[in-house]
Amino acid sequence: MLEVNDIVTAYGKIEALKGVSLSVPEGQITVLLGPNGAGKTTTLMSVAGLLKPKRGSVTFEGQDITGRQPGTIVQRGIALVPENRLVFPDMNVHDNLKTGAYVRNDNEIESDIESIYERFPRLKERYHQHAGTLSGGEQQMLAVARALMARPKLMLMDEPSLGLAPMIVEEIFRIIHDLNQEGTSIFLVEQNANMALKIAHQFYLLEQGLVTFSGTPGDMDENEVIQRAYLGTTA
Amino acid sequence: MIDFIQNTLDGITIGAGYALLAIGFTLIFGVLRRLNLAYGPSIMIGVFLGTFIYLHFDAGWLPVAIATVIGAILAGIYVERMCFWAIKEGAALASMVSTFAIWMQLEELVTVIFPERTYKFPTLGEMDYLEFAGLEMRAEHLIMLGIAVLMVGLLHVLLYRTRFGLSVRAVSENPAAARFMGINTGRVIFRAFILASAIGGVAGFLLVATDPTVTPKFGLQATFKGLIAMMLGGMGSIPGAIAGGVLLGIVERHMQAEFGAIMRDMAAYALLFLFLIFRPGGIMAQGVAAREAAALRRV
Amino acid sequence: MDEHLVSILTNIGGFTFIALSAYLLLLTGEISFGQQAFFGIGAYFSGIVTAMWGLSMWAAIPLTMLAAAFSAGLVGIITIRLRGLYFSIATLAFAEMVRLALVGTTWQVKIDGEMIGPNGSEGLGNIRWALDNNIEANDFMWIVLITLAIVMGLFFLMERSRLGSIFRTIGADRLLAETQGINVTAYKVAATALAGAIASLGGIFYAHAQTHVYPENFDVMLGVHSLAYGLIGGLGTALGPLLGVILDIGFLEAVEWVQGYRMIAFGGLVAVLLIFMPRGILDERRVHRLRMAFRTRKTEPPPAKTHDPAAS
Repeated sequence: MLEVNDIVTAYGKIEALKGVSLSVPEGQITVLLGPNGAGKTTTLMSVAGLLKPKRGSVTFEGQDITGRQPGTIVQRGIALVPENRLVFPDMNVHDNLKTGAYVRNDNEIESDIESIYERFPRLKERYHQHAGTLSGGEQQMLAVARALMARPKLMLMDEPSLGLAPMIVEEIFRIIHDLNQEGTSIFLVEQNANMALKIAHQFYLLEQGLVTFSGTPGDMDENEVIQRAYLGTTA
Repeated sequence: MIDFIQNTLDGITIGAGYALLAIGFTLIFGVLRRLNLAYGPSIMIGVFLGTFIYLHFDAGWLPVAIATVIGAILAGIYVERMCFWAIKEGAALASMVSTFAIWMQLEELVTVIFPERTYKFPTLGEMDYLEFAGLEMRAEHLIMLGIAVLMVGLLHVLLYRTRFGLSVRAVSENPAAARFMGINTGRVIFRAFILASAIGGVAGFLLVATDPTVTPKFGLQATFKGLIAMMLGGMGSIPGAIAGGVLLGIVERHMQAEFGAIMRDMAAYALLFLFLIFRPGGIMAQGVAAREAAALRRV
Repeated sequence: MDEHLVSILTNIGGFTFIALSAYLLLLTGEISFGQQAFFGIGAYFSGIVTAMWGLSMWAAIPLTMLAAAFSAGLVGIITIRLRGLYFSIATLAFAEMVRLALVGTTWQVKIDGEMIGPNGSEGLGNIRWALDNNIEANDFMWIVLITLAIVMGLFFLMERSRLGSIFRTIGADRLLAETQGINVTAYKVAATALAGAIASLGGIFYAHAQTHVYPENFDVMLGVHSLAYGLIGGLGTALGPLLGVILDIGFLEAVEWVQGYRMIAFGGLVAVLLIFMPRGILDERRVHRLRMAFRTRKTEPPPAKTHDPAAS
């Protein structure tokens, strides 16, 4: 579904990605693990059109989307749940959901919001509240729901477990699992290797801007994965 | 007592004009997080375009008003392209100084084309005073107040009921998150600038029409009245801008009546200074602070 | 020397002081819209000292600088909690209050049959110290330029000293400075006081060169100009503000065909310049490269990450 071919993305002169290739198959959960600064977020940003790769290409459903405007990419069916959630704190829950549907111009937005409320009753309870007053877990739910409003075929998620209590992390991962069961492909960036591997169909390990391993969760000893996901290879 | 109420009423009317200026300021500051010193001068361009139409075609107040708004929008677009769009992100200081340079440019442009010190501007027609219980109100003040209220109402609908409004609010709150949703932030900023310039154009027309002389100093006055009113109310808050504008109008009016023009200006700056020291979030600070506190409790 | 040139150079000298004072605050990460207040205080205070009290300008300079440093330090203490735009607007409000206070103040005494002293919007006249002491315009220019050279020299020393790096650290990252044990509050107040004193020096020379000053000379236009000078010339070195002043006053005076249209041309030029050089002509990177070119033996570390005070 999503093919990333040998992309190089740089901040000024510093190359954060030094030729990353990976593929996200339709209907699966693909996890990208790696230590801080490995380039995980940069990879997502390059896919979502927020950073332009210097080299290489990104194709989605067979079409080249490299360097396209973020709006075009969301319209094609790729939505992003950003790191730290980034909900709009002074907007109420309802309006936050509407921003997720910004690129759409059909008239089913309100009915989609209704079905979001059915899936997340806690958001419905708080629909008129400012997003900034929600708890961390509720904000994460809102960020996921907001991305769903774009009716994505593929969801990019950047560390959804960051800063959340373990119980809430489990709930978030259950939501991710359910979404995938309903047919949404997931590309998940995580630090929490332990939890991520439980729902992953396949995973990649990113270290210092390069993919150093790819396979299915059984392919590598879990302790080693966790070690390398947190600390990188200490050779 | 009657005098006090009368001055308060007059202050509210002038304050309505200030409030519109402050709203324009707040809109631009909201989406850009940068200060546009050339806001007043770009409105001044509109006012002078209005004057031009008035002097050369003997136009009535409505064509003059339209010309004022159009002139303000054109100048606003010029400012946006030169000082914000062209200057890369992260160079907020360069943007601000650039707006100052453009201000100088616009002011000189006007003085070259209009070499007299003052020009006449059309009033909203010769109208009677309306009297009520010993108070009087100039009819054009009432119209001014009515237009300001109407503008605020329209703006509210635009911001809270339309897709464009949603994008403006999203960019104001978090430009990065807005981009993630596929919102083209550059385009939103451009359109917000046009909106702010149009509001400024209306404010400029109303303020000049009730005091029907035009000078190139109008740009400076508009920038600082708008800036003070915005800061009094709390940056980035539209209810704050309204409250700040009205407060400024009332205080100025009373001080002018009691102590004259110097004390009027002095009081405006003293009020601003005291607010910044003791309540930097402005009149609306309570709301923001309370929300933040609530957010902290829930994490 | 040509009379016109002398007056231009004297002006350049005088305005460079206020540009330097704004530059000093920019180093510590603050944008002040209010340095004209201390320029004005300098002009009025020194004018009162020489014209009304009959002291010499040499006595007026230290007295005035002390008074300006004191009032600037006070403003610094009052506004210490304000950051970014809030600080800028507070300094603007203060400066406008000072200007309006000058407009509203009349305090005249009879000296040799003439009324001398501040007279509201009529300003303060008869600041005749230079004339009474037979100091010609040419000599006065040299007084200004030599003082400027001394102050610039002190700036260069400061920028190379620990104090300079403390100021730049505070400007780049206030929190980092605090964690390094720097007393940010004390240094900020010191910087505002110092900046006030430097601006007042400009005011002293301006008043004694013009012999008559008006409150409107010290309006917000002067304040924003002084900020712009540093940004046009460049924020990498104390030469930047000087270059900015030279470009402004020099350009405006030298190019006669733009008379009458000069701000149209100059405003546009500045705006275009800032598009390509958002931290001015002599920005940190270019200054570093120039230094490297002149001194190939010793290698220096590259300058710290640039910081934009307006962004905070």
